[in-house]
Amino acid sequence: MSHTRQALVVAGWEFRRYFRWKDQLMGLGLFLLIGFVWVGAAMVAGARGKVITVALDGVELTAPPEGRIRFVPAPADAAERAEALRQGDVRGILTRRPDGTFDLLVEKDPRYRAELVALLGESVRRERLAATGMTAEGLEQILSPAPLEVRFTNPATGRRGTPEKIAAGVFIGILLLAVFTSMAYLMTGITGEKQLRVTESVVSAISPQAWIDGKVFGITGFALASVGGSIVGGLLVALGARIATGFTLPAAAVRPGVVLALSVFTVLGLLLWNSFFAAVASTMDDPNTSSRSSLLMLPALPVVMSLAVLRDPDSLVSRILALCPLTSAPALPMRLVLSDPGLPEIGASVALLLGAIWLMRRMAGRIFEVGMLLYGKEPTLREIGRWAADRLPSTPR
Amino acid sequence: MTSLHEPSVVRLHAVCKSFAGRAVVDHLSFAVRRGEVFALLGPNGAGKTTTVRMLVGIIRPDEGRLEATLDGSDTSVPPPHSTGYLPEDRGLYREIPVLRTLVYFGMLRGLERREAKKRAHEWLERMSLLDRKDERLDALSKGNQQRVQLIAAVIHRPTLAILDEPFSGLDPLSQEFFLDLVRELKEAGTTILLSAHQMDLVERAADRVLLMNRGREILSGSVGELHARLDDRPRLRLMMETGSDPGILRTDPDVEELAVSGDEVGITLRAGVAVRPFLARAVAVASIRGVATEAPRLHEVFVRAVREDDARAEGRVA
Repeated sequence: MSHTRQALVVAGWEFRRYFRWKDQLMGLGLFLLIGFVWVGAAMVAGARGKVITVALDGVELTAPPEGRIRFVPAPADAAERAEALRQGDVRGILTRRPDGTFDLLVEKDPRYRAELVALLGESVRRERLAATGMTAEGLEQILSPAPLEVRFTNPATGRRGTPEKIAAGVFIGILLLAVFTSMAYLMTGITGEKQLRVTESVVSAISPQAWIDGKVFGITGFALASVGGSIVGGLLVALGARIATGFTLPAAAVRPGVVLALSVFTVLGLLLWNSFFAAVASTMDDPNTSSRSSLLMLPALPVVMSLAVLRDPDSLVSRILALCPLTSAPALPMRLVLSDPGLPEIGASVALLLGAIWLMRRMAGRIFEVGMLLYGKEPTLREIGRWAADRLPSTPR
Repeated sequence: MTSLHEPSVVRLHAVCKSFAGRAVVDHLSFAVRRGEVFALLGPNGAGKTTTVRMLVGIIRPDEGRLEATLDGSDTSVPPPHSTGYLPEDRGLYREIPVLRTLVYFGMLRGLERREAKKRAHEWLERMSLLDRKDERLDALSKGNQQRVQLIAAVIHRPTLAILDEPFSGLDPLSQEFFLDLVRELKEAGTTILLSAHQMDLVERAADRVLLMNRGREILSGSVGELHARLDDRPRLRLMMETGSDPGILRTDPDVEELAVSGDEVGITLRAGVAVRPFLARAVAVASIRGVATEAPRLHEVFVRAVREDDARAEGRVA
């Protein structure tokens, strides 16, 4: 049986071992529930609340029509004022003292305080302007910034702002989710196989390299399917948000080329890191007690490093991160969303990443070959390094 | 019994393997003939499992050479599609249904999914486990789990089955069941190499045995040959009348060993001694109600050979 067929048999097994439609649908349902609750909350928060009536005594204020506050004249009699407050006809009575300060009489803590203070501030500013003889328009002219219009040579690709940064951040989140999903399943799967003593039965049938290749493919597929469920859920929520609030996805994030690049780099990045996870997991006996567990957090480092691209996507550091195989999976797609790396840069990045995957896969295979048969004592990092550099041919199959 | 002229399917030539400077297998050579049941015997730490692991290609020998001729191809280790392997350190996926696991292991050994499923059904029916095919493995008893493990090792109908300690951890009934299966596999033309230390079972199943100690061969041949080569002393079992004292037989000059167990006495006479004169003397001095002769058991051959080898090794060290 060929190496490829062996790896595909293992990949199919690993995928089906963890993938359950029921789990996926439950996850999607939960995602949609959370998403729609969030959209609903945003809609409720954006809607006008209950009208708040404030009585004015010696104050001239105009309530804007879009606000919650309405002003009415205050009753003349103190007893009537108290009764109006008690009955809830008015929520507060605003009086201006002789020294110019304001007094708000309420029964309960005024939740509308910020809105009221803003209106008062506006009113007081107008009074002070009038006292200086300057018009509001004159003041605005003095305080306004120098006019600058930015024009893009290609508005479709050049205009990048907060929405694009959010899209890049969402991509990083998706990638991290896929990486940590893979890590969790590879670690529990491989250490579980060691504990269950399945290893010898498998490595007597196929080569360790075919086994690790199949595992990496299968778990990568499973992680992508899991993340795919979240993406579908996210798109459905975005669709709901669009209908409810007019929200739209940033143009740069939905360009076919960008989507393709995001997909390719996500898959390649996962293959690279999953090979690393599989090798490390094979040297562990028990993930609960192994000191090696911390090594599994290493792939978070390049992701965090690549956040530098968010700050300045065209800096030298960002360009290096987009080429370096350890960081290119998150960094280059971010540059794609936030800037315009040329085709040569994309091609070089893919080529370097493919080379790194091949190298990592071979080293991981060598570590896996020895690590999977070790029980009891965990090897030292020096021993692992020696296995990785081992140039002995694999056991013939 | 297989013919002496059957070609060998597996050959080891002066194979050595050391771990941390300690020789675990030391210039071991043997050949397994086609169609036979070949048993590797030895005490714990003799190097049996290391030998088996080298045979299936899990570990590589430091020195020496392995050869396999199976299904018309010559290789350094038996090819996986022609070989079945039941490891000593064995386990399967506990949380996965039995049938799925068997299909997976069949496919790993080169079967198509449909064929693997068909054979898994056949084997499960043979093992009276078909009605439990969709249950998780850990829902089965330990004995039934062992049966599933054996199916996983031979589902692809290998030419060579390598079974490392197949009887360990089994109750007597399951041991008999496994023994029958070994015989069935042999009748179906499968060559079997097994390692074990249950001598009575090996004695009943193996055509030839190789006894290992300290990584080396100390004896090999058919079970009969081993008996004859190592221990030709006559053995008797005497049934005594109740209350009779067998101790008096110890004084007989032909008696080498005597062991009392209730009303029965096991006696080993000196090599070359005739049984009849001894029996005449015994009947005269003790109340005996029955007599049976006994062949030496492989267990005793094993213990004696290993002790002699250990004594020689200690002598060398001294």
